[in-house]
Amino acid sequence: MRPLEYLRLSWRSIRGHKLRSALTTLGVVIGIAAVIAFVTLGASLQAGVIGDISPDDQRNAYGWAADPDVEGGPLAGAQPVFSQDDLETLSEDEEIDAAYGYMPLSTQALVYEDEISPQSDALVAAGPSYIREETLDEGRQFESGEREAVINPAVAGQFEENVSVGDELTIVLQGGQGTNVTVVGITEDSEGLSPFEGFEPSPRVYVPTDPYYTEEAATMLPGDGGPGEDGPGEDGPETENPETEEPAALQDGDEADDALFLAIVVEADSADDEDVDAARERALAYLESDESDASELLGDDLEVTLQTSAELLQQLQDVLDLLQNFIVGIAAISLVVGSIGIANIMLVSVTERTREIGIMKAVGAQNRDVLGLFLAESVILGAVGAILGTALGLVAGYLGAWYIDLPLVYPLEYVALAIVIGVLVGVASGLYPAWRAARTDPIDALRYE
Amino acid sequence: MKTGSAVSLEDVRKTYQLGEPVHALDGVSLEIERGSYTAIMGPSGSGKSTLMNLVGCLDTPTEGTVVVDGRDVGSLSSRERTQLRGATVGFVFQTFNLMPRLNALENVALPQLFQGAGRGERRDRARTLLERVGLGDRADHLPNELSGGQRQRVALARALVNDPAIVLADEPSGNLDTETEADVLDLFAEFHEGGTTMVVVTHERHVADRAERIVHLLDGRIERIESLEEEASGRPSEPGSSD
Repeated sequence: MRPLEYLRLSWRSIRGHKLRSALTTLGVVIGIAAVIAFVTLGASLQAGVIGDISPDDQRNAYGWAADPDVEGGPLAGAQPVFSQDDLETLSEDEEIDAAYGYMPLSTQALVYEDEISPQSDALVAAGPSYIREETLDEGRQFESGEREAVINPAVAGQFEENVSVGDELTIVLQGGQGTNVTVVGITEDSEGLSPFEGFEPSPRVYVPTDPYYTEEAATMLPGDGGPGEDGPGEDGPETENPETEEPAALQDGDEADDALFLAIVVEADSADDEDVDAARERALAYLESDESDASELLGDDLEVTLQTSAELLQQLQDVLDLLQNFIVGIAAISLVVGSIGIANIMLVSVTERTREIGIMKAVGAQNRDVLGLFLAESVILGAVGAILGTALGLVAGYLGAWYIDLPLVYPLEYVALAIVIGVLVGVASGLYPAWRAARTDPIDALRYE
Repeated sequence: MKTGSAVSLEDVRKTYQLGEPVHALDGVSLEIERGSYTAIMGPSGSGKSTLMNLVGCLDTPTEGTVVVDGRDVGSLSSRERTQLRGATVGFVFQTFNLMPRLNALENVALPQLFQGAGRGERRDRARTLLERVGLGDRADHLPNELSGGQRQRVALARALVNDPAIVLADEPSGNLDTETEADVLDLFAEFHEGGTTMVVVTHERHVADRAERIVHLLDGRIERIESLEEEASGRPSEPGSSD
């Protein structure tokens, strides 16, 4: 007897019990659908996140200093140790195209034409090239030393009248003092520009570290600003000591030298791995050497981490993978439950059709024919369940990806794998019932009522 | 066509161990010639079913030899026995035993499936036989859409589909009314005329009377064999011989 005949005959008996077969298949459908949906979402999420790394971003290494024991994403446990002098020295290195500080600054509100919009952490101070040309929708990068800002559409659209290039904004800082900026550019979208910010859209105003951070830092670093003392924590310096008066900094003389950055961005000459690695090594070597200001502050507890966006996202990716494996594991359990369901219904079916088995054997069916017929039936149940589950999972994944606005990626190898698993589930769950059917004694079976 | 008997039993014993040994068949010797029409009669427990299982290659004897179509059933593996059964024995059962989800044509074609025949060949052959039993227009009906007589005719067509050496019918008219019983028995006679070897197990005299001879079983032995060859001149019976 040919395999196709098994399938044809088995399909007939499955159709003979439509509801029962459908319910049996449901277990597999749900298991496979869950796996496919989460894998599709995971792949889409990955594509979405990786897709956000622009080619120009690939040459950036993002650095911060933290206790190596602290786990987490970018800036976790970061302490401000990078001085302006260090950044200048780094910038002069031939392997390094540019190096600048990065500092998130707390604010109270943004004011545009007397309209006040409360904003707690919309301000990001960085170097001019932090705003990459291709992310700008209009205008230009801000210039260092100027009171200029680049805003994103989330900020621009926040006021009754849209903010456009050339307009003036007032930023109310944490301490209550206001500072004016001229908007010189607007970015294309409101997603973060680097892993430091995260990638989710939120209103942000980008300003040059000089003057904004250096000024700000000056207002709050009373002494030498060591992190061990009352230096700024990871939440940003401004929360530490908002009431500090201007003169405190003035006592210290050169304010720019005292500004310590929470994080730095080191730009390599190109996005080539070699260039990025070279720039990173040079930067690390310098920061850890005695020549740098940072090395003093690093002490024994802190360590500088310098990573590219891709590497930083890898950590996020690892977390996502872990989560996904966990969910896929649960889905796999439901697959096991599904296959027990198939095995159960196949056993019922074998008992129910004892007489039919007897007839078939009487008219010349070999044991392997009976085995094949019942196995084909459970394989069909498993495979149909897998196909329906895959379709359902893809639709669910698609809806999910659409809902959280991710590029849709269909993990085709998983689709193929799902079908294979469906067949395997069918074989595994059908083997024992089919074996029992095959060894049924035709004499007993024909007498069976 | 092979020569010799379609079925030959020699001193066959079948013993079941049910607590103490039960001799279902206790030394039976019987020749069933090719093209003959034999009825087997006997009360319950006389060994009719056991004999039928042996002749139908469903079972093997405890002692003695059963030769079906020239092959010693006892010496065959289970697989060879199934092969022999499929190719040389056609079954007709009291309860018809059709596959409920297959239509008449597919039921008739089923035995060929296990012989590895192609689909077209199976359908052609099954259709021919359905027409011969007068059900050409019922080919795509399911068993539960057919009357008892029609079902038994489908079963007969199925029994004949592999061109068997012997057709074994177990109480073929037990579930039929008198009229349809006559139709079915007429068909048996018709196929017998055509050269098919028929064995009918029955406990009804008028069914047995359609055969050429009647084998009377009692307590696992052949009580007597009654020949009905000269039907016209009454019912001369000859004394049966058991062991």
